[in-house]
Amino acid sequence: MSETLVLVAWVLGPLLATLAFPLTSWGLGRWYQNRVMNALLAKEKTEGGSFQDANHLSTASSTAILSARSSALLHVSICVGPSMGQMFFMWFKSLVGGRLHSYDVVLEYGRREVLYRLRQQAKALGCTSIHNIRLETSVISFAQNQDSKRSSVEFLAFATGLLS
Amino acid sequence: MNHGERFINEPTVLNTMQPEAVSLFMSNVETIPGKTITRSLGLVTGSTVRAKHLGKDIFAGLKNIVGGELKAYTELLNESRNEALQRMMLQAHGMGANGIVNVRFATSSVAAGASELFCYGTAVFVE
Repeated sequence: MSETLVLVAWVLGPLLATLAFPLTSWGLGRWYQNRVMNALLAKEKTEGGSFQDANHLSTASSTAILSARSSALLHVSICVGPSMGQMFFMWFKSLVGGRLHSYDVVLEYGRREVLYRLRQQAKALGCTSIHNIRLETSVISFAQNQDSKRSSVEFLAFATGLLS
Repeated sequence: MNHGERFINEPTVLNTMQPEAVSLFMSNVETIPGKTITRSLGLVTGSTVRAKHLGKDIFAGLKNIVGGELKAYTELLNESRNEALQRMMLQAHGMGANGIVNVRFATSSVAAGASELFCYGTAVFVE
């Protein structure tokens, strides 16, 4: 009986020790990312209201630019990445394929945050509307080796802010 | 904000070591709203290649335990993009332009540990 326990401990011990860091990082990541996402949603509700109108936030360079008094080039970028633990478990998930939930959450957050910051920048400059919004996504590899367990995605938003 | 203390009805001021301040109107649409383009002066580009800073990388590495926004990288990229913009503005100023229209940005990883930030547009003279 005790021999079986020792055997189980010998197998499970190292396994748990190896998984301790990824599990902690995964858990912390889920908790932290949920928190920042909720904070962003709350901010969007309270502050981001003035540009929610369809005419005031557009990807088209519409005729509104003809009547505008002045303009400014706006550009904001943000770098986001999933946590190391999430990357670790995503590798296992990618063996079977399917939806990578952790990436979904992080990318959704990044894109919403960059648009929120764009609106904030427009407000700070006194713009009344934002036109010709462009969103770009790129992978930034600051890691020295290619098989590094770290990855970051950059979101860039640029647009023309108008004062009409 | 990366534009500093600037207001919408003023052109962007180029922040360099140049004695005279350079100011340009910029937009990513085909015109400068509120102005009339009198001359088109051609393509202007600006680019910069940046590698990470070791200290910043250690902090970014710690941040990678929870994920989310990597502020050190965000700042680094913002600084670099502003530098690329300034190079483009300087080139346009050298051509005698006072505005740049149709500004586009591009980012690419040129080597492990380095990224290129590139911007381009059409230099114009507006009145």
